[in-house]
Amino acid sequence: METSTKIALITGITGQDGSYLAELLLDKGYVVHGIKRRSSSFNTNRIDHLYQDPHVSESRLILHYGDLTDSTNLIRIIQQVRPDEIYNLGAQSHVAVSFESPEYTANSDALGTLRILEAVRILGLIETTRIYQASTSELYGLVQETPQKETTPFYPRSPYGVAKLYAYWITVNYRESYGMYACNGILFNHESPRRGETFVTRKITRGLARIAAGLDQCLFMGNLDSLRDWGHARDYVEMQWMMLQQDKPEDFVIATGRQESVRRFIELTAKALGWGGIVWNGEGVEETGTRADTGSIVVRIDPRYFRPSEVETLLGDPTQAREKLGWTPTITLEELITEMVNTDQEEASKEAILRREGFIVVGSMENPPSCINAEIKGPCT
Amino acid sequence: MARKALIAGVTGQDGAYLAKYLLEKGYTLIGSSRDAQTCDTSRLERLGIQSDLELVSIAPNDFRSVLKALSTLEPDEIYNLAGQTSVGLSFEQPVECMESIAGGTLNFLEVMRYLGLPSKLFSAGSSECFGDIDVESATESTAFKPRSPYAVAKSTSFWQVANYRQAYGMYCCTGILANHESPLRPSRFVTQKIIQSVRLIKQGVLQELRLGNLDVWRDWGWAPEYVIAAYQMLQQSEPKDYLIASGRTTSLREFVRLAFAAANLESEPYLKTDSDLVRPSDIRYSSMDPTLIRDELGWSAETSMEEIVQRMYEGKLI
Repeated sequence: METSTKIALITGITGQDGSYLAELLLDKGYVVHGIKRRSSSFNTNRIDHLYQDPHVSESRLILHYGDLTDSTNLIRIIQQVRPDEIYNLGAQSHVAVSFESPEYTANSDALGTLRILEAVRILGLIETTRIYQASTSELYGLVQETPQKETTPFYPRSPYGVAKLYAYWITVNYRESYGMYACNGILFNHESPRRGETFVTRKITRGLARIAAGLDQCLFMGNLDSLRDWGHARDYVEMQWMMLQQDKPEDFVIATGRQESVRRFIELTAKALGWGGIVWNGEGVEETGTRADTGSIVVRIDPRYFRPSEVETLLGDPTQAREKLGWTPTITLEELITEMVNTDQEEASKEAILRREGFIVVGSMENPPSCINAEIKGPCT
Repeated sequence: MARKALIAGVTGQDGAYLAKYLLEKGYTLIGSSRDAQTCDTSRLERLGIQSDLELVSIAPNDFRSVLKALSTLEPDEIYNLAGQTSVGLSFEQPVECMESIAGGTLNFLEVMRYLGLPSKLFSAGSSECFGDIDVESATESTAFKPRSPYAVAKSTSFWQVANYRQAYGMYCCTGILANHESPLRPSRFVTQKIIQSVRLIKQGVLQELRLGNLDVWRDWGWAPEYVIAAYQMLQQSEPKDYLIASGRTTSLREFVRLAFAAANLESEPYLKTDSDLVRPSDIRYSSMDPTLIRDELGWSAETSMEEIVQRMYEGKLI
């Protein structure tokens, strides 16, 4: 008896998690549909390697233009695709940005989730479609207990956290009210070489790799003492898939159970670059980090990166995921950093070669200032 | 100079009672509805205050509308009572619910932040956010477990206010209000529906009262007392969230019995359950502990369940 092919729909397919999840599901034989927003420039670089020329063979990866802020668009796509599984990974996902765009964040992260749930309800697909909601450890915010687990009360500390709080509870509400298979993966921070460049881990590995290649001189940071539980995105998307294969829907914490500081992440990155480590001097806004091998200053503090309200510490307890679903993360923090550093060094080398050969290379305006040409005595303007 | 207050949602039950209270305290009062020209001012008229306040149009889900209003009015105190108010309706209009409640709160917070207004903001929270209270009574530190789109939106609103208070040092706070009733309650609310049905049954016009689930328990209070708590919360030196409740839990079945008793009738002959009226998900038991507001602000609910039902039946407003 032939098992029919499963169909998955991923919102946020062009993001880090979306790209790893698409790979995982394609490997498992799914037909994968993804929703991506229209952009006047190409924005599919994380999934370009999965592209299958439809003229050559039947593609199992199909993209649709759409937006979580558009109800009828979502209803139409879901009606056409009739997915067995929906992974709602799409969101404005940057905590710091959410302080400046709280309404947009609420619209895409909170209402966007509601729109997905309502689409399934309206189209009468409750019996056939399972929904995974990307929830976040940012819900724990000002943590009410350590480590944080599924029963820990929430205390969000940013408009992002608040929007995700809405998304979490509306998912629970639709599960309880209508018997939907809808569940939340409460993911703690998860990184990879595909992480967005403005997220702190990638900012660090990329920034220090560029300094190593002579492209930048200094990395500007905010709060070095924030503590986080960091995992690898590839491990975590596996768990997202597992959550939709059970007999009944349930919410799970996805984490490593190991916590490190941002400061420590920087030190481990320096080690992976062969610098020996980082030596810290001074305190507060005057603090600097120097390479253990050469003594040159590579880390400075810029108060613009401090958040209006901070989440000081996050540490997850993934016991339930391990005991009920047999899931554990396989990639250590050191291995994660090594992988990120290797990729970022390769990128930096490419740019260094182009510059050396006389090509003009223009960086992104979002790239944090690093005084490429200045003699640094104090913080750059 | 008289203090100036803005009540968003002034045409509702709480808005009307709060308006009367603040006017008695000598405030210059502005009230808003989404459309001041077509809104239902009957509650203000029943309290006799419709000419004593300025009525303006503000759409809380429209940033520009809130910005224009607050930059022009610059109130000392803002009471945001606006937004969808019905738990039952929220299952059918979940998006409007979120936009009017959380979107509205966010707009007030963002405008205050943007203009740097020194105003104080009271945000209307709801005990619906607690969900089912299984063991002990809910307090301000009890975790939320919302069970309806309304409760999810109110939870979101609570955390928005907390976040802005902590991030920007604004004077903004949430009063987590347990159910509070009065003759000004709209008839879509089960308490008012029961009272009105009992009156019609007494007159022989109606033969039966159809309800969904009678085995729900709530903390019911008297609305005119509860708006005073909101006022008191804005008179402190530091903003703080408080649970505003009576601390007494009653079943809906008991409310029904008291309502019929007010009309000198037994409830049994007239009571019918209708499964169509049962909500997709509901809170079974809701028990509150208002110790904090009593100890710190000296506020407590004084009106008994019997008096509440009696006054609603008689249409006694205060």
